[in-house]
Amino acid sequence: MFQGFPEIKEALMSNKMQAAFMVAPMAVALRAQGVPIKIVYLGHRYGSAVVVRKDGPVKTFADLRGRTVAIPSRFSDERLILFKAARDNGMSAKELHMVEMAPPDVAGALAASAIDAFSMGEPYPSQAEMAGYGRVLFKARDYWPDYISCVLVVRQDVIDRRPDAVQLLVDGIARSGLWLEDGARRRAHREHAADFVGRYYFRQDPRLLRWALLNPEDRVKYEPLSPRKKDFELIVGLMRETGVLERDIAFEEYVDTRFAEGANGKRPWRYEAGWTKAE
Amino acid sequence: MTDAKRISTLIVIWTTIITAAHLTLNVNWKVLLNDRLPEDKRKLNVAYIPVT
Repeated sequence: MFQGFPEIKEALMSNKMQAAFMVAPMAVALRAQGVPIKIVYLGHRYGSAVVVRKDGPVKTFADLRGRTVAIPSRFSDERLILFKAARDNGMSAKELHMVEMAPPDVAGALAASAIDAFSMGEPYPSQAEMAGYGRVLFKARDYWPDYISCVLVVRQDVIDRRPDAVQLLVDGIARSGLWLEDGARRRAHREHAADFVGRYYFRQDPRLLRWALLNPEDRVKYEPLSPRKKDFELIVGLMRETGVLERDIAFEEYVDTRFAEGANGKRPWRYEAGWTKAE
Repeated sequence: MTDAKRISTLIVIWTTIITAAHLTLNVNWKVLLNDRLPEDKRKLNVAYIPVT
């Protein structure tokens, strides 16, 4: 587990890590700079929000004018959503003072009034809401249908030498996503996921993850997770427009769709709380 | 036992305890062993941060 995206980038480039979940624009920018990686799948859809102080002066998007807003990285969809929302509200994002901050630090910074707002993925909006000092000003889905944040990237040498291992990884994520969206069992599965991910992976209070996964149940979505060209063209367009991508880049240059295609038709894991193994 | 021997013994015991605690608590043996497997048998290391 890492605490910030720049560290993940370094670990990936040095081959300490062979795959990583990172914000989509960072993956595109790295590829455009010649780093041999490819996006092979998505981590989720939605799950990002702009949060302000509950008792603060910001009531509408226009109230953010001149205020400090924390973002995880200049190469993040959480930054791009601010540009999109600003445009839809007849403003320029240049009227906001954006600062980069490690995701785990933003809720505390908002509580201490060191920032006026943050644009971040879950569970940090939930953390501010649960603690009582934060209010969601808007969710990414309000301005960006089928919004994407984190994607799965894999080193090109691993894709070339071990495609079966990459397919196994993507299949596992696809089946986990379907398990989290599994019809009538969705709520129970999300409650269980919050418990074990909180304890064993995120090292966070499971109650926080329950809030993020269940309040409401579609706050974060785990299907469809196949990378779609039109979603990424929107991201690349916004990156070009906002000056974080120096050249146009073709979808095929930074996405390898064959593993997502290979995962099509997979079924959700068969697993319930208390079982020792998923099938 | 002389004072010098007693102090040496305590230092050895203390160093052994600290080393054992370090090897147990701070070294991720699964990762170390995985890195020594042949490439086709190695598990992929996947990086993430605690955020969606």
